[in-house]
Amino acid sequence: MGRHILMNVILLIVLVTAQVLICNHIMLFNVATPFIFIYLIVSLPMDLKTDWLLTWAFAAGLLVDLFSDTPGLNALACTVLAVAKRPVLYAYIPRDDHTKNVVPSLYSLGFAVYAKYLLTMSAIYCALVFTIEYFNFAAVKDIVIMSVSSALFTFLLLLATDSLIISRREKRL
Amino acid sequence: MKNLLNFIIKYSRWFLFSIYVIISLCLLIVNRDYQQSVYLTSANVVTGSVYGAWSSVTGYFHLHSINESLQQRNAMLQNEVLNLKSRNAQLEALLGDSIPTPTVERFDYIAAGVINNNTRHPKNYFTINRGSTDGVETGMGVVDQNGVVGIVNVTGPHMARVISLLNETQHFSVKIKDTSFVGSLSWKGGDPSIGYVEEILRHARYQIGDTVVTSGYSTAFPEGIPVGVILGRVRGRDDSFFSFKVKLASDFRTINAVRVISDIYKQEIDSLATFDINKQD
Repeated sequence: MGRHILMNVILLIVLVTAQVLICNHIMLFNVATPFIFIYLIVSLPMDLKTDWLLTWAFAAGLLVDLFSDTPGLNALACTVLAVAKRPVLYAYIPRDDHTKNVVPSLYSLGFAVYAKYLLTMSAIYCALVFTIEYFNFAAVKDIVIMSVSSALFTFLLLLATDSLIISRREKRL
Repeated sequence: MKNLLNFIIKYSRWFLFSIYVIISLCLLIVNRDYQQSVYLTSANVVTGSVYGAWSSVTGYFHLHSINESLQQRNAMLQNEVLNLKSRNAQLEALLGDSIPTPTVERFDYIAAGVINNNTRHPKNYFTINRGSTDGVETGMGVVDQNGVVGIVNVTGPHMARVISLLNETQHFSVKIKDTSFVGSLSWKGGDPSIGYVEEILRHARYQIGDTVVTSGYSTAFPEGIPVGVILGRVRGRDDSFFSFKVKLASDFRTINAVRVISDIYKQEIDSLATFDINKQD
């Protein structure tokens, strides 16, 4: 358990640093910004207690907020994303004894399911972030364009990140 | 009591979720205020030092283009100094011998480096590596070699957060150069090189390509600092005023070296502005 927490802390620091120093300054075609740090939330094991999942998500969001001068924005979006995680994953795979302890990754879920899961999570997160940030009906067009393009960008980056991380020897489904 | 505790433990996830959401919402609402604690901004000790270390690496990236614009600016200023000198000599000759009038340097400049900058939000801020110990105070104007870039918002001891010109909530008092037509400059999101000047009187004479400069009506900026160049007229909210689309003078994606302007009369002017006539004896 202690080792897991340490690994998560390291992952959190690495992802938040990458987010605030690099990804926050990327704006592809003036619309797409990647959110790499939500990899922490999507990759936490499914058997982790919801209390802990929420706390990790909130901490990651708050850290990014402090660095990017947007207090509350990412913290709120991450907390909601953490709640959505379980329903999203179990919408694509059956919930049974095999899947209840799964650690979501390319290796454990296979490409099709993992891609669907990542894309949904990215879309939820980007839609939340841009809606909260602009919070204005006049900006609906901007919100939609930015959410869709950022979600695609985030999805690709998360997929790449997951294939870079050495696969933990999990039982394949 | 025991039942209550059991209830809380049983539904702890919902309690935790509500607490986190409430904290986030509070932070979101607090962030709308102008004055806020330095701990919640990118100018606090931890974030400031991380950005400081990182910018000592990335600070080299745009040196070539910055050097070029500094050279240009330098040449222009040198030209101006020579012109003014010769003009001054002419005027002094006309004036004959008289007592020289003492002049006070009203504005002072504090050089600073930008350690973190953003242009993708509707409300952008950037962080500089000078703080209250260097004399930076809330409300001071910030310029780079090309023109206006922002106003100091929150200061820590060694860092300060600046409201970028690219912040929808911030307005700047500007005028068309060499005229007295004053308007209000703001940014409306999207392209970081385009701003809008509003509330210019309809009888203003202008040409496309005219320079827009600061009006000098605030203590943040002296008069005549360039802000941008008029690109054309756009439909404004109000038909009795002109609105202009302006190409901003500074390239906000590469701002690196800036100067903070301190006005020695700031306190005096601010105290006059808040002077309450009813309280006078």
